[in-house]
Amino acid sequence: MTKLTQAITILLLMHCIGSVQANEPLVVVVNKANPVAELSRSELIDLFMGKYVAFPNDDMAIPVELNGNHKIKVEFYQELVGMPLSRVNAYWSRLRFTGRKRAAVFKANEIDLIAFIIANKQAIGYVPQSLITEDLKVVYILNE
Amino acid sequence: MNKSGLVIRLAVVIVFTAVIVGLITTQLFYRFTFISEQNLGKQSIKQLYNTVSPTASIASYLNEKELAEEVVNGLISNDIVTSAAIQTDTLLVESKNYKKSISTLEFDLFSPFQKEKKVGVLFVKINDNYLADKADKISTTNAFVVAVEALIITVISILVTYYVITRPILNIGKALHSIIPGTSQRINKPASHQKSEIGQLTEDVNDLLAKAEQQMLREKVLRSEVQVLESRFRMLFENATSGIVLVDSQGDILLYNESFERFIEKLNLPLKKNYGNYLQDLFIMKKDLHEHIRIAFANNESAAVELELISYQDEKIWVQVVVTLLMTDDFQENYQITLHDISKRKQQISLLDQKANYDGLTNLLNRQAAEQKLNQLTHARIPFALIMMDLNDFKPINDIYGHDAGDELLIHVSSQLLKSLRAADLLSRWGGDEFVIILPNASRKEVINVCAKLSSKLSKPYHLSQHEKSVSVTASMGVSFYPDNQVELLELIRSADKAMYQVKKEKSVNSNKYLAFTSDVANLNNDSKW
Repeated sequence: MTKLTQAITILLLMHCIGSVQANEPLVVVVNKANPVAELSRSELIDLFMGKYVAFPNDDMAIPVELNGNHKIKVEFYQELVGMPLSRVNAYWSRLRFTGRKRAAVFKANEIDLIAFIIANKQAIGYVPQSLITEDLKVVYILNE
Repeated sequence: MNKSGLVIRLAVVIVFTAVIVGLITTQLFYRFTFISEQNLGKQSIKQLYNTVSPTASIASYLNEKELAEEVVNGLISNDIVTSAAIQTDTLLVESKNYKKSISTLEFDLFSPFQKEKKVGVLFVKINDNYLADKADKISTTNAFVVAVEALIITVISILVTYYVITRPILNIGKALHSIIPGTSQRINKPASHQKSEIGQLTEDVNDLLAKAEQQMLREKVLRSEVQVLESRFRMLFENATSGIVLVDSQGDILLYNESFERFIEKLNLPLKKNYGNYLQDLFIMKKDLHEHIRIAFANNESAAVELELISYQDEKIWVQVVVTLLMTDDFQENYQITLHDISKRKQQISLLDQKANYDGLTNLLNRQAAEQKLNQLTHARIPFALIMMDLNDFKPINDIYGHDAGDELLIHVSSQLLKSLRAADLLSRWGGDEFVIILPNASRKEVINVCAKLSSKLSKPYHLSQHEKSVSVTASMGVSFYPDNQVELLELIRSADKAMYQVKKEKSVNSNKYLAFTSDVANLNNDSKW
């Protein structure tokens, strides 16, 4: 049963994603228990581009990323810093030689990503608006 | 080569100008080059900034020290950058020798993700020494090029000047040296200067030569004319019959002709350089000469005077001397003295004088001359006795023996009478057988004595040579005294005549009577004794 519902959910999600790509806004979410209520665009960039590894309240932050060239990831960076993903990757490649390590956690899909956020109080990630659950708290909405 | 020659002068001017212009242009060029190099440097640094700005932005954004150091090191590895630094809110990365100054360029660094968000500043300092070195190098090259250019221009200018100007001029000069002015020689125009200024110069020189030739020809003709004239003048002067002498104001003889020489020879004088002023030593009457000259010169005339020359011979030489004052070109007074020989004329005149005043037969003064003498004496108021004498018995001798015998007798009587008279006394033939004797300053007694003497001389018989016959004559004499008897000359003569006739009258009575005085005759008449 669980498996079935999961499968259905995935199917639905898959279905949904097709429509999300067109115009569904992306939102940045944190664990429901995280005290941060809202983040500015700058704070968001600083967190995702590795400048800061903590929320403004100095709680440690774990950005959650999607693997590879996930469509949502591409859209997210396009929206956030106005860059194609390749340039963002280049940015990180350059930083790698300086010894700076990225604090991000990588997930294969949005389901895993959401699950990780629900499980981690410090986690922060981006999901399509339609996938928001009650366990998640929206701190920023992109391309409104 | 000539030190002040055209080529040397030109070379000096060109080299000097080249050096000055070269120095100025090099300096200017250096300035411009430096400024443009500075601008280029700034541009290069901007490009460098463009190259490093993404990395620098990232470094600033993340305050990533290592990355910032990488950027700074990368920048200072460029020659054009002396030092560099990156500054953010929390980070300062700078190269070793970094020191902020005015010349430091500043570039703002923005967040790689938010272009409007400034995250740091990049400081870059330009390497001025490097720029100066570069400018120096360029300038040196430029200076070298300018120097080479100047050298080439100088050499070409010198060559052109030498071959186009100096050498043709030198050739013309050489040609001029070998030309004899006044001949038909001319200078050849240089082939390459047919229409240039040098060609013009050659033409002008040739024109001048032609003029010189003409003038010389003219002068030659003139000179020959002058020579002819001179020889004629010389001939005229040398062959003049008059002595011509040119003397200066000191009397030194400057010029004389042959006639003058002959005069001197004739005078048996040595030919001297100076005969005193106006040749005065040659004349007997120096005073006359000077007096005439003084008067004539005062009237701006030539002095003409007849003078006798000093002569050690019997022959008298008379000359007409004409002295003319000549002013030389340098205002010296010279005198032209001409001596015309008038001895012959003088002689003729004295001969005429003789004829006019003397009786041709007896050589005694004639009546006219005697009257003149009497006039002179009365004029001078000199007292004298006048004896009027008439021969008795002369007419019969003349009639019997003829006129020649009469003449002979008259000559004899004259000489006898002369013998009895003093030198100061005067004897004249008054006419026919009448004589007048004048005794200046004679007393009555003296007159009586003289008359007695005369009478006795005449009474001696005279032998007529052609007739072998001795004849003797007697004379009747009437005497009157001037001024005692008469002041008026005619009256004086008449009264003497009267006295003489009185004697003739008495002779028939008293044959010894021969003398009567006017005063006695007058007394007789007054006393009516006769």
